[in-house]
Amino acid sequence: MTSVMFLKVAYVVAWVVYIGYLARILVRMKTVAAERAELERTSAKNAAASQSNP
Amino acid sequence: MKKLAPISILVTVALLGITSYFALVVAPTEATMGDVQRIFYYHVSSGWVGMLCFFVNFVASILYLWKRSPASDALAAASAEVGVVFTGVLLLLGMLWARPVWGIWWTWDARLTTTLVLWLIYVSYLVLRRFSAGGQTQVLAAAFAVFGFVDVPIVYMSIRWFRTQHPAPVIGGGENSGMAPGIAHVFLFTLVVFTLLGAWFIWLRYKLATEEQALESAHTQAALKGVA
Repeated sequence: MTSVMFLKVAYVVAWVVYIGYLARILVRMKTVAAERAELERTSAKNAAASQSNP
Repeated sequence: MKKLAPISILVTVALLGITSYFALVVAPTEATMGDVQRIFYYHVSSGWVGMLCFFVNFVASILYLWKRSPASDALAAASAEVGVVFTGVLLLLGMLWARPVWGIWWTWDARLTTTLVLWLIYVSYLVLRRFSAGGQTQVLAAAFAVFGFVDVPIVYMSIRWFRTQHPAPVIGGGENSGMAPGIAHVFLFTLVVFTLLGAWFIWLRYKLATEEQALESAHTQAALKGVA
């Protein structure tokens, strides 16, 4: 492997790690938002059920 | 969230793209090592941001121990994770630079060893946060972070205190240190842009941490309502 190959690999590695980390944050944000929406839906459903069956 | 994802990708690609262009095209070729020296721009900038993140983690941890504010805890978690990512890149790029220049991937000299220990300290910090049970996780993590930060000045001083395979400091290293003006300008530019990239990642990760805290609190409230 020539030294220029090491240079190219280094930059590709850095890009992959940084973009991969960003993707991981965005996926986790989406999961948390979906979980929160689901929780709110369930809570609203439970509240409505407890009001109709006192 | 719908708008945040494309904006985040755009900002990150733009910051990485502009630094790659300056490092690979604009910067002059170094006389001794040739083109492979261009790894320097990403290697040192990643290291700088990593150390900065650990400093933010240190301050946020002290603030958490003092005020017990959830925002400080979220900032500490965010900065530690981003610091681990940047320090991980620092180590990887260091190995990819060492192989063609030194003929070896790794050596147990003071700079490399203390940096690896630093990375392991903050990986342990994240593992502690992730797997510790009970209500004292944040306090334990904050105390761990305050002690863990002790390694940061040791990493910085290691090439001043010991004779190492790693080069002597090029900035603030005495009379024989310094860079050619063309290299110095690109280096400073990369350093500033990487600092912005680090701040951007911390902000995104902080936002995620606060949303996770809100979700946890919503779960607790829902459970309490269920019991009541």
